[in-house]
Order: sequence, then structure tokens, then C-alpha cells
Amino acid sequence: MKQLNQTTMRRLISIGMLLILVILFTILAGAGHGKFFNFDNLIEVVRDASVPAIIGVGVTYIIITAGIDLSTGSMMALVGMTMANIYAYTLLPFPVMILAGMIVGLLCGYANGVIVAKFNVPEFIATLATMSIFRALTYIIAIKDANGVIKSQPMNHSHYTWLGGGIGKFYYVIMAMIIVVVFGQIVLKYTRYGTNLYSVGASKKAATLSGIDVAKTRLVAYMITGGLVAIGAVFTTARLQSATTAIGMDFEFSPIASAVVGGVALSGGSGDVIGTLIGALFMSTLENGIRKLSINTAFQYVIKGAIIIGVVIFDATYKTRMDRKAKEEGAKEGLE
Amino acid sequence: MKKINWSKYSKPIILVAFVIALSILRPKAFLSLDNFSNVLWSVAVIGIMVSGTIFVFLIGGIDLSIATLCALSAVVVVSVTNMLGGGVGAVLLGVLAALVTGALAGAIHGLIITKFNIPAFLVTFATQSIFLGLAMVLTNNKIVSCTAPAFTAIGAFKILGFPLPVYFMAIIALASWAVLRKTVFGRYVYAVGGNPVASEISGINVRGASIMCYVVSGLTTALGGVVLASMTQQASAATGAGYTNDVITAGVIGGVSLLGGEGTLPGAIFGAVLMGLLNNGLNLMSVPSTHAGLVKGLVIVVAVAFDAMNHADQSKKKVKKFKKTKDTAKESA
Amino acid sequence: MAGQTILEAKNIYKSFSGVPVLQDVHFEVKAGEVHALMGENGAGKSTLIKIITGVYSKDEGQIYWEGQPVEINTYQDCQKLGVACIYQELSVIPPLTVAQNVFLGREPRKGKIIDYKKMNEMTQELIDKYQFPLKPTTVVENLGIGQRQLIEILKGLSQNSKLLIMDEPTASLSGKEAEMLFKIIQTLRSEGVSIIYISHRLEEVYMLSDRLTILRDGKNAAVLEKDEIIPAKVIETMIGKVVDESAGSKKMLHSDENAEVRLDVRNLTDKTDRYRNISFQVHRGEILGLGGLIGAGRTEVVRAIFGVDKAESGEVYLDGEKLECYPKASIKNGIGFVPEDRRNQGFIPLLSTTRNVALTNYDIVEKKGRAISDASELEMSKRAIEAIDIRPNDPDKQVGVMSGGNQQKVVLGKWLMRDLKLLIVDEPTAGIDVGAKDEIYGILEDLAKQGVAVIVVTSDLQELLRVSHRILVMRKGDIVKEFKNVEVTQSMVLAAGQGVEEEA
Repeated sequence: MKQLNQTTMRRLISIGMLLILVILFTILAGAGHGKFFNFDNLIEVVRDASVPAIIGVGVTYIIITAGIDLSTGSMMALVGMTMANIYAYTLLPFPVMILAGMIVGLLCGYANGVIVAKFNVPEFIATLATMSIFRALTYIIAIKDANGVIKSQPMNHSHYTWLGGGIGKFYYVIMAMIIVVVFGQIVLKYTRYGTNLYSVGASKKAATLSGIDVAKTRLVAYMITGGLVAIGAVFTTARLQSATTAIGMDFEFSPIASAVVGGVALSGGSGDVIGTLIGALFMSTLENGIRKLSINTAFQYVIKGAIIIGVVIFDATYKTRMDRKAKEEGAKEGLE
Repeated sequence: MKKINWSKYSKPIILVAFVIALSILRPKAFLSLDNFSNVLWSVAVIGIMVSGTIFVFLIGGIDLSIATLCALSAVVVVSVTNMLGGGVGAVLLGVLAALVTGALAGAIHGLIITKFNIPAFLVTFATQSIFLGLAMVLTNNKIVSCTAPAFTAIGAFKILGFPLPVYFMAIIALASWAVLRKTVFGRYVYAVGGNPVASEISGINVRGASIMCYVVSGLTTALGGVVLASMTQQASAATGAGYTNDVITAGVIGGVSLLGGEGTLPGAIFGAVLMGLLNNGLNLMSVPSTHAGLVKGLVIVVAVAFDAMNHADQSKKKVKKFKKTKDTAKESA
Repeated sequence: MAGQTILEAKNIYKSFSGVPVLQDVHFEVKAGEVHALMGENGAGKSTLIKIITGVYSKDEGQIYWEGQPVEINTYQDCQKLGVACIYQELSVIPPLTVAQNVFLGREPRKGKIIDYKKMNEMTQELIDKYQFPLKPTTVVENLGIGQRQLIEILKGLSQNSKLLIMDEPTASLSGKEAEMLFKIIQTLRSEGVSIIYISHRLEEVYMLSDRLTILRDGKNAAVLEKDEIIPAKVIETMIGKVVDESAGSKKMLHSDENAEVRLDVRNLTDKTDRYRNISFQVHRGEILGLGGLIGAGRTEVVRAIFGVDKAESGEVYLDGEKLECYPKASIKNGIGFVPEDRRNQGFIPLLSTTRNVALTNYDIVEKKGRAISDASELEMSKRAIEAIDIRPNDPDKQVGVMSGGNQQKVVLGKWLMRDLKLLIVDEPTAGIDVGAKDEIYGILEDLAKQGVAVIVVTSDLQELLRVSHRILVMRKGDIVKEFKNVEVTQSMVLAAGQGVEEEA
């Protein structure tokens, strides 16, 4: 029997989940004069999914190596606040400001990577700690008003805020997301680095035996995430036209949830960027639908958490089952 | 030559140094009676929570949902108390409801983690969101307050000058110490954290013991939430924010290994005291609480990195030592 | 068929902290031959291979590759020469395809982009050349262990390896998969690839190899040409004729048939067929040795009796009562178990001797209410230290930092604190120095004298003869031979484990 490839199966499941959600909201919102299923709103869904998807590319890389990054939300705040300082206190041109933000993002990623890959601190502990460090640093460099109270820094110069807009409804952030996702998928599937990510995630020992520099591969994944977080921070501040210390609060949840829903296994070695994109669209559809249906937004948190647990349990049981089956089938195939 | 084992005394030394430093830097503010109560309250809440969470740390698990479970139980106790009219009976039922919530949450964690073999951080990362959402749903995302005297007494009532939470902490810490140090279950906890496979072969019900540890952790977290709500006379989804880190940091400072199998309750309580002093000190030094995360985060990273290095080191030393004994065995043969 | 010498290791010496493991070993492989390497456990096979592949450094000696002296310091060095090692623990990456695995780290590229078309073609060429039942684009996680092994081989061949080292390649293969591998080995040989084939299984060696080098106690015992590879001769050489005559390699077995039956195992069968229909009895005061090759199913059988793993069917009776097999119940019923893998299964490294000794015995440690009496616990640990001479005799010492022998004594010691009816020990002295070995044998003998039934699983033939009152030999999941009240030699046991007798 030619069994459907495990990966393909999982892809179909996540697409199915997304479609079911879309149909569900369409019906609930009253299909005829749909508050949900109309072009403007669907574009809005994609727009909201863009930043999590961009950062999700890096987080996908990390999770493929069997790691995790809990610090992306705080990192985004720190990058945003760095740029806000340059915006407020210098006359540097915007590209320089963005470059500075990128550097901060890369440095944050580097810090995570070093702690994890060189000092062998378990990923979730390391990034839980840096999550609070980055957030604290954000507060420390936050911009204060005359009374010394932290204020929200406007970043509303039109030379900057155009980034938050688009060509008509086709927002720049969506374009950026498409570029990052396509590029991210190519790197993952068509370069040695991408292959190394899978190898490291599947077995660090086997990867080492095959001559792969495991520590470097992990470190680079964290740095890529840092860089992508910076891009996310640019689009977020440009859209909000301001920077606050609260940017990215609870945000770390989104890329991880997207990856999990999209079939990136937390045990490492499987999944891809397209999956994470589907996951990001699923999460933003969920948020949007809840908003449009005027459901108490608090339910969002409950539903999101429950979905993660549900998907993870499904993957755990499904994987053991499929692995067993694959082994039996493989053994049989070998006999021919 | 006899070498003084400084590491044995390091904890009291750090503590005394800290107190002296604060006394010198902010003599008036730090040494006041009011401040003393502040420190005690802060220590009590962290102390109560870490007394239970240590069980989870010891089996090599983690709980990222401490803060939001704390919020949920705070909301539960306030809501139930208010609903039932705020009398003593209402408060007791409210507390009971909060504790049941905590125990249930812990049981769910334990069941999912052990049944499906999913990493603890992931499960508690997801439930963190669920608890937050539930707390928001229950309060309609507002602050609910409760000023019923029977309720506020939990946090404010003083015996011999010490607020009630300090006694709670003392009792729970003592109970936790006794369980860990004196009972068979306590022995099993260390064994499971140290080597689950060998524990299983030694006849320990590893799964049952693990679930129990998460239940204990859920219970103390809920009690922490109750105390916090009582002290502030209110509850919201934001109650207990930051406590996940504080509790983990307290454990880590106190020498509890997040890799499992190592650490003592007195150590964890020391960590709680130091965290209380640290929070208070930063406060007195006019360092906003928002900045404290820097220090706490660094402490966690450094401590765990050290721990990881030590573990690697020990296995190296072991090999050396083993070879040595082999050599000597040979010589004597 | 065999050509020039491709690899030669001359006068190799290696010792670990003063204990010689290899002494003046010669080893030579010719182009296009299958050269088997055999020897008892601890004969030095794997040490020799690790020296050739650069995992260990040699103390003395010289390695020559195609006649030139070479230095091999890392595995990469040996890969560059054209030597590939097929690891026992496979190093393939499951989520990648066959082709990706074969060319991992050496992917053909156009610019930075991997040229999959070319890579798959190159892989297909290799597959066609050697007629492997594989497809370049299959994802490895859908493949069985046999096919994964082929990928490893392919990986070696793609690097133009002239010499493949296979360490127990059939250990985890099914019969059919193994046959496929044998065919492939023959194809490779005809292509001029040399193979070092390490195996415990005489029948395979007999069938496949052109020459055979036998190591014994770290020294060359013999190099046999194809027509000299006769099972009886090989066994004799492995064990050593001289040794066979000396003490400890021959024993008159004695078991008391009239003693009560303690353990009665009936038709124990495994879910995954690692053993089947296992039935045997152990009497009071009897030490039953369970011999056979590694992978014969011995460990799995004793694990099922103690209840670490569940058997699919069959019953276990102790003193006439049917047992429920899971560790907690087994302990309560008076069974003790010392597992094979001491470090990972035997003890809790971070905990002290006291805590480790007491771990299975809290039902008999004194308690006040629910509080354990520290004094009683300590007293127990001191008793254990005294009884079996654990060193250092410090009850608070972390077991993780003690020597292997003392760790094993701790693992054993906890069972001595109970009233045992049955003790099962699996490879009780692996990696333990001679002095401690003797002490452990003494303990087992004492227990037997007290009426405890003891099962000893061991791959060390000398040990098997030394301690056993009666010997059962397992082979491929079946009990194939019983030695009872006869004079038995190491050769006899080994032959039974190899299945040689049946063929002869």
C-alpha cells in the first residue's frame, strides 16, 4: 500500500482546520451580509497574521532544531523602543533607525543562541529568562515625559508610517510576509543550512557524526529569529505610529501557536514555514472571528490555549501511531 | 590543611550582606516597621508558592502557568465570597473553591504531561493562556474587589505582630519540608527527579508521583492567589503577574536544580526571602518594579548555566575518579 | 579474488588507565575481501575498530593505508582515506529523504541552492549500481531499520569508500532483512569494496567472510583463511585451548533436583517476538545461569519476569502462586532485580548510598506515623555497607561519583536488606574490576545457601561457569540447551549459543 506521506497528511489537517474555522465564522456571522466573509475583512485577517508569520519563520527554524523561543514578544518591544529613542532624540534618517533596530534584534538573538548553544541552558528556561530581561531593558530605555512617567512615543512621521500602509488594501506588511515566507521556505528546503536544521532537530548526535556544527546551526537560528523580530517591530510600530513598553505583551504565544498548529513538531526535525503560515492565518482568523462576532475576547485566550494542547496531544498520539505503522510497512517493503 | 567550605555558608552570608547593604543605603526606609511588614508579605506569598512548586522542580518539571493560575484562583475566591455574601462561611467556601481550582489545574497538568509525554513547559505554557482567559471571563475583564472583613483578614490579620500570611507560609513550608524530608513520598520525589527509569524499576509509581507533584504545586499556587487577593482586597486577571519568574528565581537562587533531583525546601525558602528582599530593595532604591526582571532573568540564566556546567563537570570527574580507583585496585592486586 | 593489502594495523597497543586492552595486535585487510573480526566480549574488537576510525588514539603501533603509514586522529580523517563505519546506533536523519541523507553536508549545489535533481540522480546511480531496494526521494522515517542501514552503507559508498566497517550489522535486523544485507555484501565485494565484518554470530561469519581474525584477551589468537573457518575450530580459538584446560573454564554442574521449585515460568511469549514460549524452573538455593549471545532475548525474558516490560502471554509462579508482573508487586513478593544497564537503570546518581539502598525498602524501614525514621534508614544503609563492603563506607556519599564496582554493590545491597525468594541479576559484573567481581559472586553464593533462587544473565562465559549450578542457553528467542549435572566447558556453552551443534 502506498501510504499518504505523514507530512502531507499533517498539512491537509492544518489546512482543514483553517477552512473549517473560516466556514464556521462565515455561517455564524450571517453568510448573506457577512461581517466576516468579505474581502476587506479577509485582507485584515491576512494583515494581522503577517507579523506572527514573519517572526514565525525564525521560530519555525528554532523549533525544527527542537528548541523554543519564549522571548520574541519582549524582544520586539526592545527593538521598538530602541528605534523610538532614535526617532525621538536624533535626526538620523529612518533607514539608519531601522538598521539599528535590526542590530538590536540580531544581538538579542545572539544572546539567546549563546546561552542555549554554548552554555547548554535548556531553551525554555533560557528564553524565559531573556524574556524578562528584554522587557526590563525596554522599560529602562523607555521614553519618559517631563514628570518622569513612561509615555508612549509617537512615531508618526509620514516617511515612516507609510510602512504601516500599503498599495490600496495590499499592505506592505503582507508583501514583506510573503517575501519572508517564500525566502524562508527556500532556505529551509533548498540550502544546506535548512537541511542542517532538520538534522540537528532529529538527532544532535547523528548530526555531529555527519560533520554538522550543531552549536552554530542553533545559534544562527536564534539570530535569524532576532532579525525577523526586528522586521516585525518595524511594521508594528509603523502601523501603531508609536512605540510603547507594552508592544509584544503575550506576543511570544503567537508564533509558537502558529508553528504548533501548522504541524511543526516541538520534538524537532519536522514541519516547515508554509505550515507556520497556515497556523498564523488560523490564529488570526480565530482572533478576528471572535472580535467580529462580539464574543468576549477573553475566550480567545482559553480557546488558543486549548487548541495548542489539543494539537500537541493529537500530534503526540498520531506520531506514535504513524511511526509504528511506518516501521511495519517499511519492514515489509524491505522484503521485496 | 583544612579548607573552610565557603559554599556551605554562602547563603546566610549573601542574606546578611544584602540586609546590611540595604540598611546602609536606605537606613530610614528599610529599617522601618512598615517596611518590615512589606517584606514579610512579599516573602510570604513567594514562600507559600515555592513550597509547592519545588515538588515540580524536583521531578525535573516546570510550571509556566504560576502567575495566571494565581490570578484565576484569586478571581475564584473573590467571586465566590462576594456571591455568597462575604461572611465567614462564604470566605471559607471561596478559599475551598480556589484550592480546588488549583488542585484541578495541577492534576490536569500532571495527567497531560505524563500520559502523552509532552514537555511540561509546553503544557503549562498553553494552560497559562487558558487560566488567563478564564480569569478574564469570570471578571468580565474588570477588577473585582472584596472588602468583606472576613476576607481581608486573611492577608491583614496579625498575630504577635506578624501578618497571617507569614504563618501560612511557615505552616506550608514546614509541611512541605516534612513531606520532602521525612516521608516515603518525599524520597520518591527525589528519586524520580534523579532517574525516572531506575525509579520505575525500584517499584515507584513514577506517573502517580509526578501527577501528585503537579497537584501540590497547583494547590500552593492557588493559596498564593488567595493571599494576594486578600492583601490587595481585589482580584483581576493581572493578579500575580510576574510571580512565575519570582517563584522560579526563588527556587533557582535557593539551589533547586531545574534539571531535577536536587534542592531542599530550606534552600527554596531562603530563595523566597532573598527575592522578597530584592523586590523590596529595588523598590526602596527607586528602581521601578518593571526593571527588576533584568536582575531576575540574569540570575536564572547564570544559575542554570552554572548548574548545567556542574553536571557536565561531575560526570567528567566521575570518569577520572573511576579510572583512579581502577588504577589503585590494580596496584594493590 | 582478494587483492593487495588495503589496510594494515601493526603492533597496536592500547591500555586504559594501566589495564592493557590490546597487546601487539596485527590486523590486515585486503582489497575486495570480507574480513570478519571475532572474539569474546572484552577481547578488544571494538577498541581496535575505534583506533582505526580515530575515536581512540593508540598507545603504540602504526596503521598503514594502501602501504603508506597514516595518522588517524578523528573520524573525519578516516573518512578522507576512504573508510566508512556503519554505526550500530544508526546516524541517519529520519525527516530527510534517502538522497539527502546520503549527501548530507556534501550536497551538490548550484550557487547556494541544492541541486536536488542532480542529487537524486547521483543517488539513483549508486542504488542501481549496487541494486539496493531504495528510492532516492523516500523520506527515511517511512523506512525500516534494514533499509536505514543500507542508507548508511550508501553514504559510505558515495564517498568512494574502499573499506566499510560493519559492527554487528544484523543485531537489529529481521531474518529477511539480514538476507538482503548478505546479498548486498556479496555485491559490494564483487565491486572491489573491502568489508570488516564484526559479529558474534558464527553462522554469518562462516557464510560471508573470506578471512577471519580472532582476538582473545587483547591479543591475536588467529587469522583463518576461508577454508579454515570451521565452527569447532573458531570456537576453540576464541576461547583458547590452553585456557579451556585450566581452572574456571570447565565445571561439573550440580543442582539439587529435590529442592522445592521456587520460580516456575510457563510459556512466556513476547509481543514483538524477541522471545517465545519460554518455560523453565528455578529451585530453592539454585543459581541458574542464563547464557547465549547478546540479543538472544535473555534480558527481555528476565525483565518480563520482574515486570519492567509486559509479556504478551504466559505465566510466572513463585512458590506455587501466580504472580502479577509489575515491579512494585514483584518487590513485595520477594523478587529482586539488578538491571543490565547500571548507570541508566540501576541507581539514582544524585542520591546517597543510604537513599539508594533504602529506595526499595521503605516498607520495612521503621516509621513514626508516616515519618521515616532516619536512624532506621541509616542503620539499614550501614548494614548494607558492612555486609557487602561498599567503599567508601560513607552512607552519605553520592552514588554517582563512586566506582562501578561499588555502584553495583549499592544496587545489589538494597535487595539484601529484604527477605528475598528470587534474585535476578543481569550482567552483574560488566565493567567491574576483578576484586569486586569475586565479592559479588560470593554474595550470590551466600544468597543461594540461604535458599534464595538466583538467575544470572551473563555474556561472560567464565562468569557463567563460575557461578551457575545449572545453565540454560538461549538463542534467537528460544531456550536451546540445558546443561544439568554434567561437566560443561566454555566451548560447549558457546557452541550451543551459536547453534553450531545443530548444524554439525
